Amino acid sequence: MADQELQVSEKKEVAPAEGELTHEGIYFTPAVDIYESPTEVVLLADMPGVGPGQVDIDLKNDTLSLIGRVGGKPEEGSSLLAEYRMGNYFRNFRISDVVDREKITASMKDGVLRLVLPKAEKAKPRKIAISSE
Amino acid sequence: MPWWITGRDPAWGEFERLRREMDNLFSTFSRDLSPSSLWRESKLFPLLNVTEKDEAYTVTAEIPGMKSEDLEIKIEGDTMTIRGERKPLELKSDESYHRRERATGVFQRSLTLPGNVDSENVRANYKDGVLRITLNKRKPPKSAQIAVTTE
Repeated sequence: MADQELQVSEKKEVAPAEGELTHEGIYFTPAVDIYESPTEVVLLADMPGVGPGQVDIDLKNDTLSLIGRVGGKPEEGSSLLAEYRMGNYFRNFRISDVVDREKITASMKDGVLRLVLPKAEKAKPRKIAISSE
Repeated sequence: MPWWITGRDPAWGEFERLRREMDNLFSTFSRDLSPSSLWRESKLFPLLNVTEKDEAYTVTAEIPGMKSEDLEIKIEGDTMTIRGERKPLELKSDESYHRRERATGVFQRSLTLPGNVDSENVRANYKDGVLRITLNKRKPPKSAQIAVTTE
């Protein structure tokens, strides 16, 4: 496992029908890992180029939306090689009633968003603030 | 169909001209050793973008979730190698995956640098999951005027 070679996975652009995006620019679907422990659900999303202040997390009804806005400007100068595109990130998740919506926390580090969704019984919509590291 | 197509002329002459042009084009490519011809596209991780400015080249790569000590950049001769490992999460026995999309594993990618890179003057920086390597160009020697003497 340790020596498994990392494969390139092309960034997938979000289909226009998937979300109502009011901002211009390209949106990609971030790759995510989700794992569950007896007390919480943890979601990790790869959003390279997005800094701590550039993530919006919205919870409406049962839908959790992640939007990451890419911070850096494209490099200046003439392009000699362009293998990947820069862009924003967008993805929706459905949250079950198991999650305590008041206690969701988020942090952003090295281009990876970490959302911790503690388990509980309550179910109230609210906006989640991002803590920066 | 006009009669002259079977008559080898002038359509045949046009073919010949195109063929000669193609040959010229390919030999131009193989002779081209300009800096821009050194950056080759590949499907190896990490994907790279390279830009050139007057004084430097910039190589960027998206490698989220790394520790900078797990990234290694080496320059040997005219070859730069980017190497590292994206380690998998270590889950406890009572934790289980619902979804696993983020790729893990080791990676290595080598690039041939243009001759005008000053390999002593390379900077790398890792921020928000993006690796950015600045390769400064060697300063061209100062121009000198050579006087021609007559005898």
